Amino acid sequence: MFKKKTHTAFNEAQQIELAQKDHRHFGPLYERYFEQMFRFIFKRLGGNEEVAGDLVQQCFMKAMANITKYEDRGLPFSAWLYRIAQNEVNMFFRSEKKNYTVEISDRQLYSILEENGEGSVRQEDLDQLIEIINNLDETQTDLIELRFFQELSFKEIADIYQISEANAKMRIYRLLEKINTNWKRES
Amino acid sequence: MRKFQRITNEKSKEPTKEQLVRYKDFASLSHKYERLAKRPKRPLYKDPKLFLLLLIIGLMFLLVFLES
Repeated sequence: MFKKKTHTAFNEAQQIELAQKDHRHFGPLYERYFEQMFRFIFKRLGGNEEVAGDLVQQCFMKAMANITKYEDRGLPFSAWLYRIAQNEVNMFFRSEKKNYTVEISDRQLYSILEENGEGSVRQEDLDQLIEIINNLDETQTDLIELRFFQELSFKEIADIYQISEANAKMRIYRLLEKINTNWKRES
Repeated sequence: MRKFQRITNEKSKEPTKEQLVRYKDFASLSHKYERLAKRPKRPLYKDPKLFLLLLIIGLMFLLVFLES
């Protein structure tokens, strides 16, 4: 008697297209990516829940406002969102008058040293490594953070910066070489 | 500016389910967005043309009212 209501499953491209026409259709995209973006921002802030909540809302607000400008260039939609989130977090860090401290565990630092081929490391070496990272410029610190502290793949980093995977690898390995040189100079 | 600080004991940096639920609110986001998007880009007092037009319409109504 009653016709069974059929639900049309929209794929991501269709959802983006709908959201570009009317912002109220942004909901499914928000549902799909909220957790991912919150985790990313939360970790970048070293676990500051309240600020992460504000920044994630800010990030999605910007995404909604600019979705009409979004063009599918073969990169995942999440890369575009990551880029917005990355900018939001960096703007927050810049706006902080005092230094904003992000805690990094020894395990995360060891992963940098492992990549650099360092076997046995003393505690002082880790302090020295942190100092070297803190003296890098913002873009370089971001790359180190994304790769070793956020544990993103080269592909994900490449998508965020809209560069090739090979280029992302090259940038990070050059950066590791720089860290290594500074480390050897200081020790 | 951000500075990294070393910690020896590793704390979990993953948000909990409760934290995720607490901040996930599309209705409020959409409402905030609508409020921002609907706000006129230029206030009336900063738009001389519109201000003048409304003034003329007002004066015309006043004249019609006084005539009658």
